[in-house]
Amino acid sequence: MSAALLELDDVGIRFGGLQAVANLSFAVGANQIVGLIGPNGAGKTTAFNLITGVYKPNAGRITFDGTDITGWAPHRIARAGIFRTFQTIRLFNGQSVLVNVLAGLHLQTRQTWWQGLLRTPAQRREEERLRQTAMDLLARLQLDQLADTDVASLPYGVQRRVELARALVARPKLLILDEPAAGLNDHESAALNETILAVRDEGISVLLVEHDMNVVMNVTDHIVCINFGRKIAEGSPEHIRSHPDVIEAYLGKDDEDFLPPAIGSAA
Amino acid sequence: MLGTIVQQFVNGLTVGGIYALIALGYTMVYGVLRLINFAHGDLCIFGAYVGLVVLGSGAGSGHAQLLWLGAAFLVAAVVVAAAGVVLELTAYRPLRRADRLSAVVSALGASLFIENGIMLIWGPQLRVFPSNLLPSMHWTALGARIDLVQVLIIAGSAVLMAVLYWFVHHTRYGTAMRATASDQDAARLMGINVNRVIISVFLIGPAIGAIGGLFIGLYYRQVYFTMGWNYGLSAFIAAIIGGIGNIPGAMLGGVLLGLFNAFAAGFISSSWQEAITFALLIGILLVRPTGLLGERVAEKV
Amino acid sequence: MKAVLDGINRPWIGAVLWLAGLAVPLALDQTWMFIASLFAVYAIVALSQDIVLGRAGMFDMGHAVYFGVGAYATAILNTQFNWPILATWPVAVLLAALAGAVLSAPIVKLRGDYLLVVTIGLNAIFVLALNNNLARMTGGPDGIFGIGVPSIFGWQLASASAQFWLDWVAFAATLVLIHNLDRSHLGRTLYYIKHDQLAATTMGIDIRAYKVLAFALSAALAGFAGTLFAALMAAVSPGAFVFTESVTLFAIVLVGGQGSIPGVLLGTALMFVVPQAFRQFAEYRYFVFGIAMVVVMVLRPQGIWPRRRSAGAKA
Repeated sequence: MSAALLELDDVGIRFGGLQAVANLSFAVGANQIVGLIGPNGAGKTTAFNLITGVYKPNAGRITFDGTDITGWAPHRIARAGIFRTFQTIRLFNGQSVLVNVLAGLHLQTRQTWWQGLLRTPAQRREEERLRQTAMDLLARLQLDQLADTDVASLPYGVQRRVELARALVARPKLLILDEPAAGLNDHESAALNETILAVRDEGISVLLVEHDMNVVMNVTDHIVCINFGRKIAEGSPEHIRSHPDVIEAYLGKDDEDFLPPAIGSAA
Repeated sequence: MLGTIVQQFVNGLTVGGIYALIALGYTMVYGVLRLINFAHGDLCIFGAYVGLVVLGSGAGSGHAQLLWLGAAFLVAAVVVAAAGVVLELTAYRPLRRADRLSAVVSALGASLFIENGIMLIWGPQLRVFPSNLLPSMHWTALGARIDLVQVLIIAGSAVLMAVLYWFVHHTRYGTAMRATASDQDAARLMGINVNRVIISVFLIGPAIGAIGGLFIGLYYRQVYFTMGWNYGLSAFIAAIIGGIGNIPGAMLGGVLLGLFNAFAAGFISSSWQEAITFALLIGILLVRPTGLLGERVAEKV
Repeated sequence: MKAVLDGINRPWIGAVLWLAGLAVPLALDQTWMFIASLFAVYAIVALSQDIVLGRAGMFDMGHAVYFGVGAYATAILNTQFNWPILATWPVAVLLAALAGAVLSAPIVKLRGDYLLVVTIGLNAIFVLALNNNLARMTGGPDGIFGIGVPSIFGWQLASASAQFWLDWVAFAATLVLIHNLDRSHLGRTLYYIKHDQLAATTMGIDIRAYKVLAFALSAALAGFAGTLFAALMAAVSPGAFVFTESVTLFAIVLVGGQGSIPGVLLGTALMFVVPQAFRQFAEYRYFVFGIAMVVVMVLRPQGIWPRRRSAGAKA
């Protein structure tokens, strides 16, 4: 059993009168793909915001790669090696795909501000190196032809790939994906599955929130199910698929789209 | 000693009442539009000039004088309220969906337009108010002298504030206004005619502010075109101190600032007094940006 | 319209126009040379405002402070300590940068509107301090006169044409700097911060540090222009750095086009040069500005000459 890369220990947060997350404990190991599932409003995105430093927990501890990162500012957490995508895509509209992806290379840039202002030869070389690195990754995701296109003009599925590229180019240790399959058609979902598996094979751990059970069941090694901000079940996909508490959490809502494959139609 | 303190207190309440009346306009507009209406101070002083025009045409003394005074307030309030609506329709409404910054520039432009418009019409020199408008009665109490005009201003401000408070918290229109300030989209979905609420804000705020402006003219017996900027800034600071978007906050902030200025003037040279007021503003924004009574503005995260 | 504006290959056209500008002293009279020099100086300040506002997205409406710090630094060092003008230049820039860093550090965390109000307050305090003859050095409301003439290696730039060329070259240097900024990592980072702070922070960008850096850089550039201003006018007074000046700079960026070099230059020309040409209508100046500001924002909120999309890197 590999040591956990990311570990949440009894994490909780309140917003005014609402306990959004409570006593949340789970771990993501090295080379592991963990899925976080639960009905809408269960606190999944809140958990992500806690891990990535957007919110600071009121209780508990978050450890990453052996270091306590509880309460760290988002940019420090990124520097530690955690990168993410967002539920609603947050690309820099009005800029090209390339410039968007270059944002992911921020921490790897070896260029001071005055070198940039003076446009020294060193800076020019560095710009070329960055451009090349970004283009290589874009090529791997079949986005290189679109490098100069304004992201705002791209179809939804392509925008999601660009956001993924931006996080990947940062060479994260842990990649956090917030509903990466939302709005994707079957073809695009299948491509996403392949990409996530390939990412894991390169040594990057993945933590994802997803409602699309095809993605969750086929891609994850381990699933954590939460509801009302608390963990209600955890285990392998097979275990979760037939877990009574999980089924009740979903059946308790009217939304049959969220039934795990065991109860609903074929997986 | 007691006399000086009481005197400064009275002076402070007078100026504070004026600040409060002007501050209300800023806070109400910010509440519903999240916009600093830079032109508001200029509208208020415009009210003073309009009042001056009315008073200037009135002649004689005695009872008729009081009627002219009443007419001046009424006309000033109505004209400035109309101007406020025109301002909203031309400079702000078209930018409702645009970048916040565009509205800021438009507001600044409107302020420049009104302020310089006043200068072009009435000239850059200060204009004097007629001296025999009010009977020059005064009272002495506790070693301080209180003039009739001060009583008028303090009482007038207090009454207007009370009426506005009642309106905002105990009528349907007031509730609609608070709902719009809290969440415009939700208010719209609840069937509130948001545009009409906004128009009414631009009627009430400037009208009350115009009365404040006319009070300035009566109290200092003079007006000049840059007063709109000066008083506007002070009133705006007052609104922030009380909590921008918060109506009781604007009232409290205005009175507090008036008192602060009055007491400070007695003990610190006036040239540094302004600097201290600004330092106070910066301090508050850094330490407690939501002001004394807290901001009543929904945060757009 | 957009196609026309985008289609012009701007760096080359800019270079050609700048070269043409060198001929101003040969073609135009003293008055116009002075106006052109003033344009160059104000263009530098406006471009500096564009860094903090148009590129970093911070509502700085007290930018005249840094312009003033630079101008007064030169004025004081030159008239009271007999420093040569050009020697005061680095000091002016450093002092302005320091002022920018120190003043911005506590306030960059504030929400846009609040930052706006605080910078107004800072501007007011600055002018009040100048008027009150702070440390007995600032000369009160009348300011400081008798500022000398810049000289390079003993060569006095006494004539109006020499001053103009100095200003025009400084202007070119600024244009190159801003052009480089747009194509650099810093330029991109400021764009990310302006457009989506949350996303930027999750990419590892230290928002606060970059905001203070942007403030300090733009202040330094404004201070740079301040020295030129002091030398050009041979005098400085608080009136040149009041709130109205800051509003004008702010408006130039918004009306011209945020983050757009030609937009900002156009705005500067409209708001500083045109009034000079119509001196007889001086009292209408701000009245007309006011109307223009409202009209432009309502009809074209992105500015007259908006920034070309995708400035930043090419595949």
